[in-house]
Amino acid sequence: MDLVSLQGWLDNASFAVLFLTMLVYWGGAAFPGVPYLASLGTAGMAIANLMIAALLSARWIEAGYFPLSNLYESLFFIAWGVTTMHLVAEQMSRSRLVGAFTAPVAMGITAFAALSLPAQMQASEPLVPALKSNWLMMHVSVMLLSYAALMVGAVLAIAFLIVTRGQSVELRGSSVGTGGFRDSRYRLRRTNELGVETPQPALQYLADGTGATTILAAPPQTAQPLPLSPQRLNLADTLDNISYRMIGLGFPLLTIGIIAGAVWANEAWGSYWSWDPKETWALITWLVFAAYLHARITKGWQGRRPAILAASGFLVVWICYLGVNLLGKGLHSYGWFF
Amino acid sequence: MTSETPTSSKPTGLHDLFQRYIQRELLPLLADLRLAIALLLAIALFSISGTVIEQGQTLAFYQANYPEHPALFGFLTWKVILWLGLDHVYRTWWFLALLILFGASLTACTFTRQFPTLKSAQTWKFYQQPRQFEKLALSTELERVSLEALEPLLHQKRYKLFREGNALYARKGIVGRIGPIIVHASMLLILAGAIWGSMTGFFAQEMVPAGQTFQIKNIFDAGPWAAAQIPKDWSVHVNRFWIDYTPEGGINQFYSDLSVLDQDGKEVDRKTIYVNEPLRYKGVTMYQADWAIAGIKVKLNNSPVIALPMGELDTGGKGRLWGTWVPTKPDLSEGVSVIAKDLQGTVLLYDNQGTLINTLREGMSAEVNGIRLTIVEIVGSTGLQIKADPGIPIVYLGFALLMVSVMMSYVSHSQIWALQAGDKLYVGGRTNRAQVAFERELLSVLDALTAEPLSMTSTKP
Repeated sequence: MDLVSLQGWLDNASFAVLFLTMLVYWGGAAFPGVPYLASLGTAGMAIANLMIAALLSARWIEAGYFPLSNLYESLFFIAWGVTTMHLVAEQMSRSRLVGAFTAPVAMGITAFAALSLPAQMQASEPLVPALKSNWLMMHVSVMLLSYAALMVGAVLAIAFLIVTRGQSVELRGSSVGTGGFRDSRYRLRRTNELGVETPQPALQYLADGTGATTILAAPPQTAQPLPLSPQRLNLADTLDNISYRMIGLGFPLLTIGIIAGAVWANEAWGSYWSWDPKETWALITWLVFAAYLHARITKGWQGRRPAILAASGFLVVWICYLGVNLLGKGLHSYGWFF
Repeated sequence: MTSETPTSSKPTGLHDLFQRYIQRELLPLLADLRLAIALLLAIALFSISGTVIEQGQTLAFYQANYPEHPALFGFLTWKVILWLGLDHVYRTWWFLALLILFGASLTACTFTRQFPTLKSAQTWKFYQQPRQFEKLALSTELERVSLEALEPLLHQKRYKLFREGNALYARKGIVGRIGPIIVHASMLLILAGAIWGSMTGFFAQEMVPAGQTFQIKNIFDAGPWAAAQIPKDWSVHVNRFWIDYTPEGGINQFYSDLSVLDQDGKEVDRKTIYVNEPLRYKGVTMYQADWAIAGIKVKLNNSPVIALPMGELDTGGKGRLWGTWVPTKPDLSEGVSVIAKDLQGTVLLYDNQGTLINTLREGMSAEVNGIRLTIVEIVGSTGLQIKADPGIPIVYLGFALLMVSVMMSYVSHSQIWALQAGDKLYVGGRTNRAQVAFERELLSVLDALTAEPLSMTSTKP
């Protein structure tokens, strides 16, 4: 089979699939009552993921080395990463709202790579001597996967900010673990010792299409005294926690990617850190997300502020990934417009 | 974190006063998370300035690009840049001070926050009262269910169980509490290794023609204690330097065949280096970094081989060219210019008027002004980056620990309590990171415990 024409078909088709998937997710968010939209969205993401994987494999076979030599290939790799991380986040949260935010990101990346990059930049190119190393695969793929995880985490933080606009919220996941305790509004007052039951409406959490929503309901068939029942996470809690977990996944990947790059640099030309703009921006990204992780455990920084930091991290990741290459300096200037 | 514990005895001396100051004022300030976040963001911000403003350029460059009238953003003139050191941000005293403060904050945080948190995670308690479960968000009471039924379910989910009478405590993922401590420790190791390396290491560059022997002389950056690292009792001989070209004429790889010679000129080590494959000898590493054309070997008629040095020509940034001039008359009144652009073996001959007269390959000859000029060989020189960094082992240890511990820090520390009180079983739990996954896990355990699903959003096991 002709690998080149297969690639040309796959890149446009994955863009088309992602575009439709995005519409499906948006439709699902707008009309939660329509059945099958959620599974259709997940299926679309999975198909796009496999198509991009096939595209990259075809290039790998054709060129004979791991396909991360130019902007086009790295864009498709990151799009593959975003769809993978989307599937992870969706599996974790079981919320169809995730796709409404991640699908446009994946769609945008493939649109840029497949439609707006000129043909000569899409062609696979021989590697320059500096990149001929097994470290290339290790360093670049881990970096791109970390960008993908951080982007998904950051767009989920944006989703959280949209869902909680105008509310004050308390965060429920952090390394110190303040989120395991009952919200004071829902604390059950029980006076068992005196033999008097305070009639409190029991809390039941019913599910609707978009996620768990708190409603106050009369206790079901259970008899008095009122039972202790779990206080479930609501949609905002879920989005926040999944955003935190995705960033928590991207952060170790970023750390390992930067270290792999540093070790490679030291092995190849004797300096593990040289403040090259790309390197510096990777450090800046690391610092911003480190600040986010610490903000979550800080008193007085609770609520929406860490999410704002995470959302701004989306921009930082993009500057790190593409913006720095506009400067066109250093070893990281892979196939930009210069 | 502020001074809450009054000491009974008055400070007796300066030493005590100093100790009190550190414990009561300095440590809480350093361990304040808001300071840590501010430091992280400040380092990020100043790092950005270094990627926007060109680093390490000449004074004239800054004068031309950051004039006083009009000043960029109304203040950013070359004087401001030089005064603040923004032309070499990462080496200014204030940026290094920021890094040291960051290290101090890391250390303080480890002792005042992380160790106590780990300790409290390890010294758990059984819940002996039903009301203790009320503070947990994920807690419930079940009837007609026994503690014995819960144990295998938690065991299956890889919890570590502790039992005391009617009370049960289960936990997993305690590595998630240890991870951040090691993360901080490895960051400190990396910082320490970097400082040690910058004090004791050196950095040199040499451009050596093939066939010559050199000692490391051209050192352009060395730490104050670097003298012991700079080799004096051995030298390096460049046996050969060559370039592999792709069929399209692009550079595929550079190679240098190097021999390390001891004081008597005896070979003690030999290796062919290329980009990504350096030579290491006694803590000094030599990297293939650059190349140039050193000279050309020619023959005039039947003369012996004459080696002429070639100089790099100024092309105004349009590629690299080297040239030399070969006299063709004994009084040097006539000659040809020989120009080479790479080591592929082709040279161009120009006459004194600057017109191209011939193109020659290595081993070929041409008639010039009645003389037969033979190109024997184009001699390349290898550009070596030479470095010693005694801080590397410390930095690498820090890297290794950081990679492991940052992954450990992803793990969520989950704890579950249960208490059998009469015919009721109280179950509650919490986790520090993965709230959503833990909720699903605990509810699935509860669902499995009870015949009827606990809630309508029951998750399938």
